[in-house]
Amino acid sequence: MEVSAADPRVAAGIEWPSDWLRATLGFLALRALSAGPSYGYAIISELERHGFGTIKGGTLYPLLTRYETAGLVTTEWRAGEGGPGRKYFALTDQGRSELTRLGGDWERFVETSVQYLDPARSTEGTSA
Amino acid sequence: MRQQTSDKKWFDQLVIELRLRQEHGSAIGDTVASARELLGDTGQQAEEAFGPARDYAAALELPSAPRNDWVRDALWPSLLGLLAFLLFNQAVVSWTRSELLLVSPAQLALLATPVVLVAFLPLYLDAVIRRIWVCIGISGICALAGILSAFAAPDDRAEAWLAIDPVPWLIGSALVMVALSVRNTARSSLSTDDEIIDPRSRTADTTGTGARVLVQVTNWLFPLLALVMLGLAVALR
Repeated sequence: MEVSAADPRVAAGIEWPSDWLRATLGFLALRALSAGPSYGYAIISELERHGFGTIKGGTLYPLLTRYETAGLVTTEWRAGEGGPGRKYFALTDQGRSELTRLGGDWERFVETSVQYLDPARSTEGTSA
Repeated sequence: MRQQTSDKKWFDQLVIELRLRQEHGSAIGDTVASARELLGDTGQQAEEAFGPARDYAAALELPSAPRNDWVRDALWPSLLGLLAFLLFNQAVVSWTRSELLLVSPAQLALLATPVVLVAFLPLYLDAVIRRIWVCIGISGICALAGILSAFAAPDDRAEAWLAIDPVPWLIGSALVMVALSVRNTARSSLSTDDEIIDPRSRTADTTGTGARVLVQVTNWLFPLLALVMLGLAVALR
């Protein structure tokens, strides 16, 4: 599946609008690298396993290339085990800071959205 | 087999698109290797995983070389070589007949046509590479201009706009063609050329003997064609 306007994501029975994934894929990819250096297919599998659907290489690699140019990730080719090498992406300190910042912003955005969509739930949370 | 064929075509297109975007050889090698790595892991076809090669090349937004580098390094020398070759062709016929080189305005305009078309190549290079009919059309115009210039050549001195001694032009144009070929040969033999490097092996894409011969023939194309023209002029005088 590809992140496109006409093709909503499907994950665990839930359809994610493609716009949502387009907006969040950046820091989700940074999050996938937070545990340590990883390569394209492993990042895609990690995101798929956590319910974000199958991200295409044509979506992920341009994003990671831009992050490399911006200094958020570094890359390194490592020899493969009995096969051709793999390109590993690793978070830089700047990338880690960006992940923290974007993660915090996203939490506040989600909280604000939930409060607006369901004021009663928000009031319950305050009174409890 | 069909998957391999379509993937090969996709990768060929990707390399062309990245070259057109003036990407560095090392960045192209990295892009190709990482795409192959993912396809090896997923078993997908290139088009399925990355979309059209042209769109993928654009989406990567790789840092590129200054766009005028190839104009300075390749286009201007080629243009100078073409100009020298056209001059040689005009001068060689007059020289073999021991006549003055006679030039009319119409003949000059027709000879300038291919030079102008090559000079403006940067404006329509993408179209020439992507659409074969544009390439055929441009080549046809150049060939037609060359043929018509022969008919536009003045028969006697009264019709001529210019009447000049062909020997200096013959020697000068020959020297320019040889000098440019020597320069191109030296450049192509240097390892500083922007080759596509495979990051997994740190080696350049290997070019076979045929490709190396083709490069040398291209480097010496104008002097070789000039020799053919000289032979024809001597034989037909």
